[in-house]
Amino acid sequence: MSNHKIYLQPVPVRIWHWLNALGIITLALTGAQIRYPEYVSIFATYRTAITLHNTAGIVVALSFSFWFFYYKIVAGTMANIYVPKTDDLTRGLFRQAIFYFLSYFFGAPNPHHAKPDDKFNPLQKSAYLAIMFVIMPLVSLTGIFLMNVEPLRELVLVIGGLKILMGLHFLLACTLTAFLFTHVYLATLGKTPLAYLKPMWTGWEEEEDKVDEVQVNDNVPPHTA
Amino acid sequence: MRLASNSSQQRIITTTMALLFLSCIAVGAGEGGGPGYSFGDSKGKNDSCMACHSNQATVGARNYIDPKKFGHTTHSKFGCTTCHDAVSSSHPDGKAVSMTTSCRDCHPDIIEQYSQNFHARLAPCSGCHNPHRVFRPEEISGDELNRQCGNCHKKDKIASSHSRWLPQAGLHLGSIACVTCHSKAQDYVITIYIGKRYGTTEEKLAPAGYEELSRLAAGESLQPLIDSNRDNYISITELQQFNRNPANKEFFLKGMLTPIKPTHSFQTFDNRWDCTFCHASGPQIMQTSFVAFPERNGTYRQVPVEKGAVLGALQTIPNFYLMGSTRNSTMNKIGLLIIAGGMIMPAGHGFLRFLTRKNRK
Repeated sequence: MSNHKIYLQPVPVRIWHWLNALGIITLALTGAQIRYPEYVSIFATYRTAITLHNTAGIVVALSFSFWFFYYKIVAGTMANIYVPKTDDLTRGLFRQAIFYFLSYFFGAPNPHHAKPDDKFNPLQKSAYLAIMFVIMPLVSLTGIFLMNVEPLRELVLVIGGLKILMGLHFLLACTLTAFLFTHVYLATLGKTPLAYLKPMWTGWEEEEDKVDEVQVNDNVPPHTA
Repeated sequence: MRLASNSSQQRIITTTMALLFLSCIAVGAGEGGGPGYSFGDSKGKNDSCMACHSNQATVGARNYIDPKKFGHTTHSKFGCTTCHDAVSSSHPDGKAVSMTTSCRDCHPDIIEQYSQNFHARLAPCSGCHNPHRVFRPEEISGDELNRQCGNCHKKDKIASSHSRWLPQAGLHLGSIACVTCHSKAQDYVITIYIGKRYGTTEEKLAPAGYEELSRLAAGESLQPLIDSNRDNYISITELQQFNRNPANKEFFLKGMLTPIKPTHSFQTFDNRWDCTFCHASGPQIMQTSFVAFPERNGTYRQVPVEKGAVLGALQTIPNFYLMGSTRNSTMNKIGLLIIAGGMIMPAGHGFLRFLTRKNRK
């Protein structure tokens, strides 16, 4: 059995991913201390937690913009990668769910094979669509509002007040945290626990039962990234 | 504080006379002061002075005394001549009226406390308190308390010095009475004011005044704007009704953290640098709040609010949120459920994965 390597994660995506990961973990930990200071004291002071939270929030918001710019403008693969197609919705979702929740346990292979311009299975597409196009923008936006309550007071009032804004930010952040657990766990479902993690570090994914090794460098044309 | 300039013997005699005078008022009058003590009322005591001094055109801005505000003070019940005891028979003769009394004569404990700190060397009592319109702490808005500080501590300097270490300094300065951090007060409440949504920044920071709210209340009493059943107690439902009422769209409820009893021990205490002094008080402590309604005489009247109003999730006091301290328990539970939901899949799937690991070898 030989390995077929495909270049799945270009450098900009990997930089964005790990920056985002670091930012979101920092946000979750500092956010926990900010909301529950009596119980969580990971960081030296409350002010440190606030400063780190604000900084990480800006980093995540900027990295989100970077991600959007890369996939939409540079690679031009955003719609193909993130938006489920009709077949994904009618059959793909069901097929993938059956795999994860049933056939996986009997050793069946994953019905989806990642390709540079079709990285995600239908379930991933649906989840990432919600995460990247709804939750991330909303949590960033509510965070930006909360960082600028005084200058944006009128907008805060239009939204319905600080409490609604805070509640929304908190519940969206909880949703992201919940997704983080599932995301990390699903990343271990490859042939080996690190099989899916490795491409996000090196860029290359190994596919079994293939002969050729296709080398594609970081300057691949946009449609293959 | 202005100290008497006469000899100490004269001061003792004057103080004794003033105390005897006050004792006579206390025994003779029927209107309540503290328990078992009465200051009497102001009826007939100030009329001859106020005949001129309530008219700005006659005495000028410097010597003008707002009769509504003065009439509400405890000082007015003593009568003008209790403090202005050296008014000559030729008054008004254009000469300054001297006084042999001082604040210490009636407020020795406060003077003692105040004189212990650096502030006393820079500002006399009258630097902050105008004795002709001095009110109890709960009768003054947090904004007004801060404006007293602002008479000497310029706003831009306060903003820049706080910005160096305090995130969203402007927001903090508009939501906390200065004396919350800069005096040795012990207990705090959330005082809720009716704020204006539109106007200049200054107007938005200050609570809406009596006249504006009076128009909103169509000339009626202001309290029923929120306390619709007029029971001197504001329920969470009444707060929600106020927020939902389209007629109130130009106003909103704004909260301020204010000390119950400010002290005159002015200094910055070490624990106030620690944000958790306010932000970790926890939901149990953040239970007490009042709505302060402006009165015609320039004071505020506090009406108690149902316990837990500050912790309401959405519609109770929508624009007051003290991170960490006013978190809502229902939100906490929903958030916990969401996160638990995210952990169920890895836990359940991981368990079955472990049991069926042989199938994938």
